[in-house]
Amino acid sequence: MKRNFDNAETLITVDNLCQFFKMGKRELKAVNNVSFDIKKGEVFGLVGESGCGKTTTGRTIIKLYNATSGNVYFEGQRIVAGTRSYKENIKQKREELKKAIEALDKNSAEFSTEKARLTAEANAYIKAQREEIKKANYDQKNCDKVYAEKLQKELHAKYEELINNASTDEEKANLKAELDKELKKAKRAKLVTKIQMIFQDPIASLDPRMTVREIISEGLVIQGEKDKKVIDEKVFEMLELVGLVREHAGRYPHEFSGGQRQRIGVARSIIMQPDMIIADEPVSALDVSIQAQVINLLNELREKMGLTILFIAHDLSVVKYFSDRIGVMYFGNMVELASSDELFAHPLHPYTKSLLSAIPLPDPNYEKQRKRIVYNPIAEHDYSVNKPSMREVAPNHFVYCNDAEFEKYQQQLQGK
Amino acid sequence: MDKKLQVNNLTISFRTQAGKVQAVRDISFDLEKGETLAIVGESGSGKSVTSKAIMGISAVNAIVESGEIIYDGKDLLKISEEEMVKLRGDKIAMIFQDPMSSLNPIMRIGRQLTEAMLLKAKASMRNARTIFNAHLKLLNKNLDEALGESEKENNRNICKTFDEFCINSAKLESAYNKIHRTAVELKLDLEHALFLVSKNHEIDERKVLKTAITQMPLTAHPDIVVMTDEIKNDIEELKAGLKSLGLFGKVDALPGNTKEILQKFVGILEKAIDRPKPNYFTLGYYMLKNPDANVDDLSIEDLTKLTREFLDNDFMIDFIAKGEKAVANSRQKSLDKKQALLAQLESAKEHFKAAELDKKATNGLIAQLSKGVEDAIDHLTIHKNNMEYIFRSSIKNEVNKYFTAIINNPKEQKRFDKQTAKFNKLIEKGKQPDWKVVPAALTDLELVKANAIRIIQNLIDSYNSDLSKDNVFDAHQEMVDLIDFLKEQASAVVYKVTPKMAKAKAIKLMEEVGIPEPAIRYNQYPFEFSGGMRQRIVIAIALAANPDILICDEPTTALDVTIQSQILELINKIKVERNLSVIFITHDLGVVANMADRIAVMYAGKIVEYGTAEDVFYDPRHPYTWALLASMPDLDTDDKLDAIPGTPPNMIYPPKGDAFAARNKYALEIDFEVQPPMFKISDTHYAATWLLHPDAPKAQPPKIILDRIARMKNLNKEEN
Repeated sequence: MKRNFDNAETLITVDNLCQFFKMGKRELKAVNNVSFDIKKGEVFGLVGESGCGKTTTGRTIIKLYNATSGNVYFEGQRIVAGTRSYKENIKQKREELKKAIEALDKNSAEFSTEKARLTAEANAYIKAQREEIKKANYDQKNCDKVYAEKLQKELHAKYEELINNASTDEEKANLKAELDKELKKAKRAKLVTKIQMIFQDPIASLDPRMTVREIISEGLVIQGEKDKKVIDEKVFEMLELVGLVREHAGRYPHEFSGGQRQRIGVARSIIMQPDMIIADEPVSALDVSIQAQVINLLNELREKMGLTILFIAHDLSVVKYFSDRIGVMYFGNMVELASSDELFAHPLHPYTKSLLSAIPLPDPNYEKQRKRIVYNPIAEHDYSVNKPSMREVAPNHFVYCNDAEFEKYQQQLQGK
Repeated sequence: MDKKLQVNNLTISFRTQAGKVQAVRDISFDLEKGETLAIVGESGSGKSVTSKAIMGISAVNAIVESGEIIYDGKDLLKISEEEMVKLRGDKIAMIFQDPMSSLNPIMRIGRQLTEAMLLKAKASMRNARTIFNAHLKLLNKNLDEALGESEKENNRNICKTFDEFCINSAKLESAYNKIHRTAVELKLDLEHALFLVSKNHEIDERKVLKTAITQMPLTAHPDIVVMTDEIKNDIEELKAGLKSLGLFGKVDALPGNTKEILQKFVGILEKAIDRPKPNYFTLGYYMLKNPDANVDDLSIEDLTKLTREFLDNDFMIDFIAKGEKAVANSRQKSLDKKQALLAQLESAKEHFKAAELDKKATNGLIAQLSKGVEDAIDHLTIHKNNMEYIFRSSIKNEVNKYFTAIINNPKEQKRFDKQTAKFNKLIEKGKQPDWKVVPAALTDLELVKANAIRIIQNLIDSYNSDLSKDNVFDAHQEMVDLIDFLKEQASAVVYKVTPKMAKAKAIKLMEEVGIPEPAIRYNQYPFEFSGGMRQRIVIAIALAANPDILICDEPTTALDVTIQSQILELINKIKVERNLSVIFITHDLGVVANMADRIAVMYAGKIVEYGTAEDVFYDPRHPYTWALLASMPDLDTDDKLDAIPGTPPNMIYPPKGDAFAARNKYALEIDFEVQPPMFKISDTHYAATWLLHPDAPKAQPPKIILDRIARMKNLNKEEN
């Protein structure tokens, strides 16, 4: 059953995210100005054809790439910050200034004062932008540090009260020792580990020379957990959670079937107690019967652990079944964003329509008549005059369109 | 119906350290011309092993235990590697699951696409010339024999004339074809340019226009487009317009009447393309005899009539009359030899019935027989009987198998006895060994001998039918077919593929399979492509050879929906256009609904359900098919998915009863004991499950499937 998350707390906000790659002299805009937010406990599906930038979006969010521009806020803390937009602002301002000065009458009396005024104005703007760049660079580099400091502060505040209230010296000493231990942990805490990833290919994403125990516990070990017993306990707990048994811990990945391998991948990601999982095509490399097992597993985990999931996939029937809201991407742009029922009931953007028309169904008679709608951006849109942007056509239903299309879509919705 | 491929009782196992894995267990199916057969099953069910056996690329440790795969009258499991090379890729092409493993990572895409085209074109040119010469020489020889020594000089002359004019005609025709193709492509280009110009688009209309305009003069040919001064002027005007554009010009800068000029071009081309094609075969002879004749003024109908009469009276009627005699002569010779060989074959059958075969005698016998059979082949006929051609390799194969087994069988038995003894000893000591005895892999000598006898018997049968068919032999038809065949070869001789042509074809193929900007992509390496794009390249490579049967091994598993449906449409389109037969292997039943004419569901090396697409989707009977259907969500699924519990069985120790019983909610007791036979549900629909036995309890498919079928039926009703 689809749930409603309108009133839930926002967990992650992606704001004008851009990720460009260098391709010789040209630049590939893999992700271009993508914005969305995910509520706590929600499953957000990201669909689109291969090469449209959905995986890149996921990877940029988890900081596997350095974002070119735009921000990502996770639990209120900026974790990804690109600087390109500020740099472009500076460049633009400089050009504007040059033009403005040229336009001035050089012989007039006020020329020098006017010029000085304009320059000062521009310089102030540039300075502000530079400050922004500095801040962004700091956040990009030190978001974990900021988070760790915040945690430490909270701990101090919490224990200070406890210690003050403690009656005996012994209790005080105990609490202090506890605080030190917690502080040590907090110092090493990383915000980004609250987001975990499940990869597409379960064979390629598991180290063939590590046992399942080592694979699953690797994150814990890196975080500084040294007690073998604690690690083993946790590993066993995770294995059972994903439907494997304790005996599997000593085995190597090649001894498992595809579905089991993917379960190991899931176990590795949930051992860090993440708030959010980025599932990058977790079922597309699996057999249909095993896909169902993994999807059922993710569904159970989401309920048990209150996970938020960014579900990247191209199989629309699976996405429809699994997600609460869906964003459709096309060549680096988000073209439509709506709740999954709404999207499938009233698709507006021509690309979404073409995507939906391509879903195969297990019905030969229907299939033989099915007509795939072809999406040709040149023929569909005329963006020469009016540039498009993301607009809310109906409540919580966003489409990438310009003014004319906006009206057309609204009429379409009302007509229905 | 025309059966393209037949698989009978195929059993394949793999020799591994742990024992023999039975990957395919006694499956049979056939594939008709222009049909799609889908093989559906989980990974490890033996679908890929089957397809690899058809391609002759089984892994080295694979053993074909029994069965045959018949294509074009030949058993693909028996023919020699040299013969297989001619079929593989050329006649039977395959698209693999993982595109990266089918591409060379250090070669540019363009090279990989054109490499085979160029090599093949060169080889086929040489090949066609050899075949052409050999057949003509044979015809000449038979003419001499049939007409007597006195006609020798004359015979040589008519053969020479035929050779000359055939090649000449083919040259003329190929020139025409090339220009015709250019005209068709140009029309498309111009239409595209028109579209861009009318849309005021500013991306690359300049390039399109430029290519279009440079191509236009190339279509000048008396039969296609006549270059009048007016057209030349228009072209010049457009060229000047293009030149005046800067590097990033807009369409406004083009001459104002661009649209009209383009429309006119399109009109001219349209008329030209629809013009009937002259008969180049007769024209070639006419031009050879009258090199100075001016034929440009004649209408095409008149021209064809004139040249046809000229050819018939001057040469053809005489040639066919003489050729008939030669063909009949060649056939009579072959029949005489076959008659003489029959007794020898009968006695050879007796030889193989002996309890033990003598190596030297047997080898001598089959060498002698093979030579006799090959001598008796009528090489002049183009209706070939493949039984004669594969006799040597197939009988040799059986005999070799027999003599290797004689040495190997005792060794294997000894190893098995030793291991069993060791195992029993351990058991006696009360230990539980962590290994099992590997079953003995023995070759059945009697079966091998029976196979050899069957091969000989097949040949005898085919000889007998040839001999009795004597009175219905039509020498005239045979001669006409031979001339057609030679014509075909001649056109292959002059069909030259230059690197430029190959590049153009490759780019067109890339466009056809939906790769944007193919001209840029042509020079990139495989790693620069995304998964979907790579798969398209692989499909383009497979299609480049114009195959007869296309085997698709999970071609869309790694692709997303739009591309998946594009590629399925592409395969469907090509299937219809070229009347291809397709074997489509997948684990996703959703994909096959729009592709398949028939579906075979495989589990643990066996076909468990077999029927038309409608049968399997609207009336599934086997619990495994139910499970497959229930485990995939569709757009209306909201409940928990019915996953299949557990994993497929270990095929080193295949289960005694139904292999699916352990994972099956509906399993009956008998399922664990006895393998179910194929129950017939209708003429097209079969399933192997005990649930279909009249005494079995009634079982309903899971609710999720029943709901879906009901929904689908409603939907279909509404649409009708």
